[in-house]
Amino acid sequence: MARPPLGESFWRDLYELVLSVGRTMKVTLINLIRRPITVHYPDRPRAYPDRYRGLLALTYDKETGEENCIGCRLCEYICPPQVIKVEMLKAEKRNFAKTFTLELYACEFCELCVQVCPTDAIIMMKSFDMSTADRRELLLDKDRLHQIGLKFEPSWATGNLLRDMQTPPKAVKAGGAPE
Amino acid sequence: MPALPPLATEAIHAFIVGFIVLNVIIGMVTYVTLLERKFAARMQSRIGPYRVGPHGLLQPIADALKLMMKEDVIPRQADRSVYNLAPIVFLVPCMLIFATLPFAPGLGVADLNIGILFFLAISAMEIVGLFMGGWGSNNKYALISAMRAVNQIISYDLPFIFVALIPVVLAGSLRLSDIAAAQAGMPYVFWFPLGTLAFLAYIVATLAAENRVPFDILEAESELIAGFRVEYSGMKFALIQLGEYAHMIGTSFLGALLFLGAWSGPWSDTSPWWGATWFLLKAMFVFLLVTWIRWSFVRIRVDQILAISWKLLLPASLVLLMATAMVVALRSTGNG
Amino acid sequence: MDPEARKVIELGYGGSERLTMNMGPQHPSAHGVFRAILSLEGETVVGVDAVIGYLHRCHEKLGESLTYTQYPSIASKTDYVAAMCSELAYVRAAEGIGKIEVPKRAQYLRVIVSELQRVASHCLWLGTWCLDMGGALGGGATVFLYCIREREWVLDLFEALVGARLLYGFHQVGGVRYDIPAGWSQKCRETIALVERRLDEYEDMLERNAFFQARTQGVGTISRELAQTIGLSGPLIRGSGVSYDIRRLEPYSSYEDFDFKVPVETAGDCYARYRVRMVEFRESISIVRQALDGLPEGPISSRPGVKSVGQVRVAKGEGYARVEGPRGEVGCYLISDGGAKPYRMKWRGASFSNLSVLPHILIGTKVADVVAIMGSVDPVFGEVDR
Repeated sequence: MARPPLGESFWRDLYELVLSVGRTMKVTLINLIRRPITVHYPDRPRAYPDRYRGLLALTYDKETGEENCIGCRLCEYICPPQVIKVEMLKAEKRNFAKTFTLELYACEFCELCVQVCPTDAIIMMKSFDMSTADRRELLLDKDRLHQIGLKFEPSWATGNLLRDMQTPPKAVKAGGAPE
Repeated sequence: MPALPPLATEAIHAFIVGFIVLNVIIGMVTYVTLLERKFAARMQSRIGPYRVGPHGLLQPIADALKLMMKEDVIPRQADRSVYNLAPIVFLVPCMLIFATLPFAPGLGVADLNIGILFFLAISAMEIVGLFMGGWGSNNKYALISAMRAVNQIISYDLPFIFVALIPVVLAGSLRLSDIAAAQAGMPYVFWFPLGTLAFLAYIVATLAAENRVPFDILEAESELIAGFRVEYSGMKFALIQLGEYAHMIGTSFLGALLFLGAWSGPWSDTSPWWGATWFLLKAMFVFLLVTWIRWSFVRIRVDQILAISWKLLLPASLVLLMATAMVVALRSTGNG
Repeated sequence: MDPEARKVIELGYGGSERLTMNMGPQHPSAHGVFRAILSLEGETVVGVDAVIGYLHRCHEKLGESLTYTQYPSIASKTDYVAAMCSELAYVRAAEGIGKIEVPKRAQYLRVIVSELQRVASHCLWLGTWCLDMGGALGGGATVFLYCIREREWVLDLFEALVGARLLYGFHQVGGVRYDIPAGWSQKCRETIALVERRLDEYEDMLERNAFFQARTQGVGTISRELAQTIGLSGPLIRGSGVSYDIRRLEPYSSYEDFDFKVPVETAGDCYARYRVRMVEFRESISIVRQALDGLPEGPISSRPGVKSVGQVRVAKGEGYARVEGPRGEVGCYLISDGGAKPYRMKWRGASFSNLSVLPHILIGTKVADVVAIMGSVDPVFGEVDR
């Protein structure tokens, strides 16, 4: 649909200019009348979908009220930017995490730690509302992580749910490489 | 008490009137920026300024305060006198054009009998200020933009003048209030086809004279950042913005006067304030039309801009002017 | 490097002054961090020297330090605008070496997600291109905001599927990590119907707009021979008359099941590339509809979900996988030594190869055309610098 450069044919140029102007301005006029799509955040809350990957948190067991985390350090090993640091505390019946630090300012929110957790201890929340002027507040320790877990609404994904969704029905696929 | 000499009374009278008009214009300029921002935002599916004051009504005041409080930075290698004078040389002609505009019959600063000539001549002087700004900034981008601007404004002043002459020919007088009064029955824009075409050509010429998209090669945000204004900040930038928007409103008022029948409207004979209100509304209509065009189009290259001016708009405006003159001549020979 | 470009002003041949202008790494229309040292005579560009590397983040070294389970979410950060396609290249390379099968449902999901990503990426391309050409205070901004508005709907879809809007971590070796939630299919159809309607509006605004045509036709013409010599891919080469689309030539991930047109234009200028991408918009929407209609049941991965970091080991070997990203051919070359991490990884960035055409087409154009051409080449510097 090539056309000769502007300035070549007077009447054709004029006609085309007028028509194209009219068409474009019609589109802008239509949008003038449409409702704006602005969401007045934070006055109105935004609806987060179920699987939203927000802040990270540690959870307690629903029945016993104990911490879910057994300090196995799987999340520490899989985290690509290595923001999680865990120390295990051995006890009689089960292990705990002695310290659990997560550097939220470097976190990628990739959900891999949630994916590997065997006890669904670490999960993500449906909120990202933790802006601060001091980056040190984003170096989360275990207490802070548990607080976040109680404060916001958790999103759908936990370790077991994710792995169940991904694992094919027959147990181990002989798909080529050994595990 | 001895009476003051008549010259002094005149001077004081002119000073007070001019002072009032100037302040009203400056106030209007700041709120016109808000109008443009909200109008543009609605066209883009968003809300404009909203938080400062109810629905953003205090936003222009916040902007003005911010600009006044900013540090005055002058580039080290800049040509200081040229750099400092440029905003003033740019602003003064843009304010002076309001001197000849009659806002209502009898309500105006100086209703010269060469009103429109004064308007067009003075508004062309802002190019000097523009170029001074570009040169004095010692900045390649500013210089390129100033060169482009001079090119463009000179090319588009000619069609602008020819199109502005059409109502002059129709009304038979250069005095602006005469042109406005001659449209009491029917504004010239409704005089099909020449009047409407002239109005459209006027809008295009205004866009180019104001450096509005699609002719804003001068500021070309994505190439030259802010054109000749790039090194200005703080109060000097505020003066340049003021000048630009004042010129914008000035040409809108002129357009409303030349083509839309400045103060004619339902109750305009009862009091001059009604006339002034209609004038304001029509000028805002012209302004919003220009704004609507501005926020809808991409810009075109400088050689294409010049091609449109010299090969398209200038012949068109000449033809319109000649046709108008012929019609007026035929009418007058027919009458007497 | 042109030695004359180092001096600020000098007299070129013919006696005209030559100005060296830096379209520097911080520039509203550099599309990222890109430095072009332009030598100008008046308004005409006579020399261009491109400097890249401002966004280098050592992806290829990261690929050697992170395992096959960790790297896919990092792979999205090469071409961050089309993250799904970048992840797909890496994951397919690993699957190719290890001969790992991908279940049919996972393949269809990959197709849906890649095509939705193409729609989102082209929305961003159109918006930023018009923004560059039209100015941040003007019609460009209007088209930009409209396109971003449409892109937000598509990103909402991704948010409902994955939880993230821009950088996903959706793929894993052997399949995908997330299945579609309830009601997503219906929402997807509604969204792409809306985008299709809005596309009509944009074409109305731009297509026959004389200003837009004057700005893009005849500008930045890449001849067919040049395109094939330099090794361009994607809309750049399809706009120059060569019908080269990896989805057609080497169908991957079940693309052979879908019926879509590969748009080819012969003019080779910015307008041709614009037409190619606008047709690709509609074809992508049609592919998504076909995939949603024919989505088979089944598992979404052939391997169990990731439980530990060293879980995936790929057999010894090497392989190259390429996908058709919105910008061209994105390729990932892996050498595996049988362990949990690759021995060597190399990215073939589409934008990196596409940028090498700039010195050929920018010489002789005006400054204003430089931004139009840069926009139509559509580089993303995550891919260029990695």
